[in-house]
Amino acid sequence: MRRLREVIGVAVAGLTARKVRTLLIMLGPVLGVAAIVSAIGINESSKGHLKAKLQELGTDLIVVNASSGLGFGQDPVIEAAAVGRVKRLPDVVAVTGTRQMSDIVTVPFAGAEDYYRAFPVPVIASGLDLPATLEVPLVSGRFLNDFDESSGARVAVIGRDLADEYGYMRGEPRTILLNGLEYGVIGVLDYVLLEPSMDSAVFLTFTSAVDDWGLVDPDPSRLYVRAPVNTRLVAEEIPTVVSLGGPDGANSSVPTDLLDAQSQVDESLNNLTKMMGGLALIVGGVGIANVMSISVIQRSSEIGIRRALGHSRGTIAIQFLFEALVVGVLGGIVGAGVGAGVVWGVAEQRGYTMVLSMVGLVGWALVSVGVAVVAGLYPSTKAARLEPLETLRLG
Amino acid sequence: MGRGLPAVDDVTDPVASTGGSTSGVGESFLSLEGVSRIYGEEVQVRALDDVSMEIRAGEFLSIVGPSGSGKSTMLGLLGVLDLPTHGVIRVRGVDVSRLSDAERSRLRGEAIGFVFQQFHLIPHLTALGNVETALLYRGLSSKRRRGRALEALEQVDLGDRHDHRPVQLSGGEQQRVAIARAIATEPDVVLADEPTGALDSKNAENVLQIFDDLQTPERSICIVTHDLHIAHFAHRKISMLDGRIVSDASLERS
Repeated sequence: MRRLREVIGVAVAGLTARKVRTLLIMLGPVLGVAAIVSAIGINESSKGHLKAKLQELGTDLIVVNASSGLGFGQDPVIEAAAVGRVKRLPDVVAVTGTRQMSDIVTVPFAGAEDYYRAFPVPVIASGLDLPATLEVPLVSGRFLNDFDESSGARVAVIGRDLADEYGYMRGEPRTILLNGLEYGVIGVLDYVLLEPSMDSAVFLTFTSAVDDWGLVDPDPSRLYVRAPVNTRLVAEEIPTVVSLGGPDGANSSVPTDLLDAQSQVDESLNNLTKMMGGLALIVGGVGIANVMSISVIQRSSEIGIRRALGHSRGTIAIQFLFEALVVGVLGGIVGAGVGAGVVWGVAEQRGYTMVLSMVGLVGWALVSVGVAVVAGLYPSTKAARLEPLETLRLG
Repeated sequence: MGRGLPAVDDVTDPVASTGGSTSGVGESFLSLEGVSRIYGEEVQVRALDDVSMEIRAGEFLSIVGPSGSGKSTMLGLLGVLDLPTHGVIRVRGVDVSRLSDAERSRLRGEAIGFVFQQFHLIPHLTALGNVETALLYRGLSSKRRRGRALEALEQVDLGDRHDHRPVQLSGGEQQRVAIARAIATEPDVVLADEPTGALDSKNAENVLQIFDDLQTPERSICIVTHDLHIAHFAHRKISMLDGRIVSDASLERS
């Protein structure tokens, strides 16, 4: 034990005597470990964020888009009757149809037309169950209801971002202008994570869409379907139920699957970064071997005198191997620290919850130690093989 | 002074000393018997040719000769830094060729101290650290190691400079640190290779005086030099030429 302490002491003294050189050879392991730890940490944190998002969205929402049937030249739609058929499917608990309107300039007050013509606000004709189907609450007022639908009242619900943009205060009696027609704002829909475009949209009843904006039939172009059980099976059935062999087509998807796919893409990127980190570690190892080999030549006199003082070849080899080991250990610790710092920074910036595995941190630090020791084998053997007589240059 | 080397004695046969002692000196502890050292394979250089000699306890001897006479080769062999091509070298009666590198290193560390012309101090260590280097890996506690190193530095009047690095010391002081390092292990013999070669005359005189003071009935001093004045500081002078000993004579102190 005492001997081990002495060897460590000699190795540390050798390293601290040449601080800049030591820092330079430590850079390799530091960068390698930092790259790997941060790549994995950022990916895990991002995945954690996606998982939380999936949890929040629920994985049972199906989006059905009308696809081109035989109605050439027209926007594809899903006939209103098909909505009822989808609703009657087993396991379906809620269905809402929407249709995006075109050529409507929405402004919060007269005189803002030019700006909003350049940056139009989406106007969506919506079924009445949209908040329930999307499971999104209203932050103010209420959503469109049967009375609005049957009476054709000029009322609208706006998305939360649009409410902020318009400076809308909760409960405020307010009208907005749609191509000059006044609509009363009756509520503000909270953020819709799956459809961020809805956050800056205006929602109308289908009756208003028909009465005021020339919609021929109150047919939606998109359906949101909530099916808590057998979600994927229901999603497969919907196109058939919609078309019934007729000209209207539809395709369905479960948006959370896209998020899953996104996390798979991140995995590929993660592997690439891991490979680059591994490469940095190997290059760092080569750097250690290179710089330490030069150091052995520079310190040949020291090696010679140590041999003359009774230090064996083995002791000299272990001394240099320990120098490599110390570089690996410090490089690993600093690299893991830097990597963790990067993960923390990215998580803070993107609003992720930081996910970092302690086992991973220690594991990659150990890999750095392994690389450093393997890299140190050649120079330490070289140091041990030096002949003291040659290095001492007797007179 | 304690001279025990149990570990080495365990692995070899102690051999009786090679000769009787002369007045004032003890038994032989280091001997060369028919030693040759040949360098190179295709083109061979016979640096040392069939040399026999011995160093007895308490001797102060010098090895002199012109450049290329083989005196440095002899120092390397006497110091167990090298092995002979032919012949036997015995230290404390042990044939060093039969020892492993670790055993030879240990024997060298315990029985032999070195002083070099260029001092060969480790630049990043203090004077104390340099002396302590000789005491590493001997099972000494750091406190005891430090104590013995300080003691050795005090013997060469550098106790108060123990925390100075080589670059902060003069040439003479650096050589005194090297001498302290050589004697810290209480060796049987101190081998000095041109110890005054890099010093001015005043410092050279001081260093020689220190060597004279260090000689005890148990400890021998062997100086390798080409300077006859220094050679005559010793009690015995071995002259070399072309890899052979041409004379081995006792001297009256000049």
